Amino acid sequence: MSAVSTAFTARQLPFRGGTVKVVEAGEGPVVGYLHGMVGLPSGELPPLLAELAADHRVIAPSLPGFTGSSYLDELRVLFDWVVALSELVDVCGMVGAPVVASSVGAMLALELAAVRPEAFSHLVVLAPMGLWDGDDPVADAFGTTMTEQRAMLTADPAATARFFDDDPAVTDPAERIELGVSRYLTRTSAASLVWPIPEHGFDQRAHLVRNAVSLVWGTADRLVPPSYSDRFAALLPNVAGRYRVNEAGHLVDWDRPIEVAAIVRTALG
Amino acid sequence: MPYPDLPKDFPDRYRSVWVDIDPALYDPAVGHRVYNEYIDQLEYAASVGFDGVGINEHHSNAYGLMPSPNLIASTLARSTSDAAIVVLGDSVALYNPPIRVAEEMAMLDGISGGRLVAGFPVGSPMDTVFAYGTNPATLRERYHEGMELIQQAWTRDDVFAFNGRYNKLRYVNCWPRPVQKPHPPIWIPGGGSVDTWDYCAENDLVYCYLSYFGYKAGLATMQGFWNKMDELGKPRNPFQGAFAQFVGVADSEKEAYELYREPAEYFFNSCLHVYAGFADPPGYKTPNTVRSGVEGMVERAAREATARSEAKAEAKAAPKAPRPAASQAMPFETMVEKGYVIIGSPDQVIEKLTEVGTSMNVGHLLTLAHFGNMDNELVRHNTELLARKVLPEVQPLFEHEWEDKWWPKPLPTAQRAEPAR
Repeated sequence: MSAVSTAFTARQLPFRGGTVKVVEAGEGPVVGYLHGMVGLPSGELPPLLAELAADHRVIAPSLPGFTGSSYLDELRVLFDWVVALSELVDVCGMVGAPVVASSVGAMLALELAAVRPEAFSHLVVLAPMGLWDGDDPVADAFGTTMTEQRAMLTADPAATARFFDDDPAVTDPAERIELGVSRYLTRTSAASLVWPIPEHGFDQRAHLVRNAVSLVWGTADRLVPPSYSDRFAALLPNVAGRYRVNEAGHLVDWDRPIEVAAIVRTALG
Repeated sequence: MPYPDLPKDFPDRYRSVWVDIDPALYDPAVGHRVYNEYIDQLEYAASVGFDGVGINEHHSNAYGLMPSPNLIASTLARSTSDAAIVVLGDSVALYNPPIRVAEEMAMLDGISGGRLVAGFPVGSPMDTVFAYGTNPATLRERYHEGMELIQQAWTRDDVFAFNGRYNKLRYVNCWPRPVQKPHPPIWIPGGGSVDTWDYCAENDLVYCYLSYFGYKAGLATMQGFWNKMDELGKPRNPFQGAFAQFVGVADSEKEAYELYREPAEYFFNSCLHVYAGFADPPGYKTPNTVRSGVEGMVERAAREATARSEAKAEAKAAPKAPRPAASQAMPFETMVEKGYVIIGSPDQVIEKLTEVGTSMNVGHLLTLAHFGNMDNELVRHNTELLARKVLPEVQPLFEHEWEDKWWPKPLPTAQRAEPAR
């Protein structure tokens, strides 16, 4: 199935003195989505959700600080983020549902599953961060120029145009500046989660993740080498499936949304 | 304190002078020689009439060989007798816990008899978030918390607990105490952040613009600080401002062009060869600075270095096409024209430095008499000409109108210890 649904709602829900943006679309079984480094695009569904919404009810919060959600400077270390995510899955009504999570979102989802297994039923993680092998290191996504970072995130740099490029429809200078600030804060929040090395000791907690976990990797991931799929598989006690997506980079869901949607349907049965 | 022996084709062969510069380029024998020469030069400046000698902190950097300015300051505190020891400064967020900064600076103030200027930069992105791995999103909060801890440690007369977000100390008790009361004057070096202007203006601290690009480019930045002072209804006391400027004095303008060309070109074309990917990590700037569109000096240096590299690559790919101007190393004439470097006869330099002081309204001028790969003899020549022929004309600029509340107040000479030689 590859029908695309573009109808969605975007709500601002109160969260810790600010708000979080929560996008919902489609009908059917509920699937949560935790975005990766570029957050949720403004004004449209992320490409993967446009696919999944054809036969699921998708719920996608924008993590604090990412596009559309308030920046919370109280989130300083991983523990703060995991507690915030635990609160957020309740607030946006995706607790207990399966979740598809990408990159830094996948790292947080796995960390939360280790301490609160009931938060999700099944995790489909797309190139999660959170492990480190000095002989095969994760690349530095932020000690780079914006052009290089963009090339590092997706095999096709045009795939993330909705994040990196100015929206030509926005002509008001003040609004353009605020969109630039929002993009900067999204990058700040993503960097904050993985600075300076994207490893917070998950290898000591991975055995606590009792949930079924499906691992998905793009074969052209320049940020987290596809070999990390083996490292996660060796640590997680309940790996339900492992998938590779050809010609896809780190944000595999932005590069190959149709293929990833098919994998999600397979993984979730 | 640059490393003076980078290869001539350094910008072509290496991507950055900072953070990931090739360790193999460092020769410890050269390091030994230049550390001693640089300390000699600072001592010489103090001996010929400079009001103070300045040092700063950088990491993994071939143009700044001073990871610990306090080490250099401690030798200067002993070997000089009257000059201020201007540490510009300790990057507070990089010290764990920052009480170490309060202690070491109190030691320096003690050894020097109260001659310390305490500078506290946030620090460049290359130093803080890349070389030292600090999360850029928390860097400024760490910095401000460290500043609070240091100032409390210097001024409170009790042993107290400090419950910060990053620093939890059950017992804060700074021994030794600084000589100067309530504490040494505090200067905040900045590179163009709007929030640093605000912080200095609101807390009556010196805003010290350490620009690479001279007074013409620095005017707008200093004006931003003075605008903030106006907004707060505070006086425009020039001594609350400081500015760094490269200066080369010679007997004539012609001679100045001959003497200072090579060291200036070495500095601007090799020492500022910074990889653009290190210049603007997300979170280093505050949203206010992003909104203002102000470009930090490191960003600018990296942007210009990138433009040169890209243009060179373009020229290489199409060797028959005319070489774009950007592919050329920046010529010295351009540096002089744009005011990056002020050079000339003593009278010409007096005129220019007076213009710097008055146009920017800065009462503290940090004249950089050494830059790039300038040799020891030329540094001493420049320093002497500056001290004997230029500074006497420039020093009194604001003295009669304004009080300098941000200059060290040392112990009376009679109470100061004389180091045994």
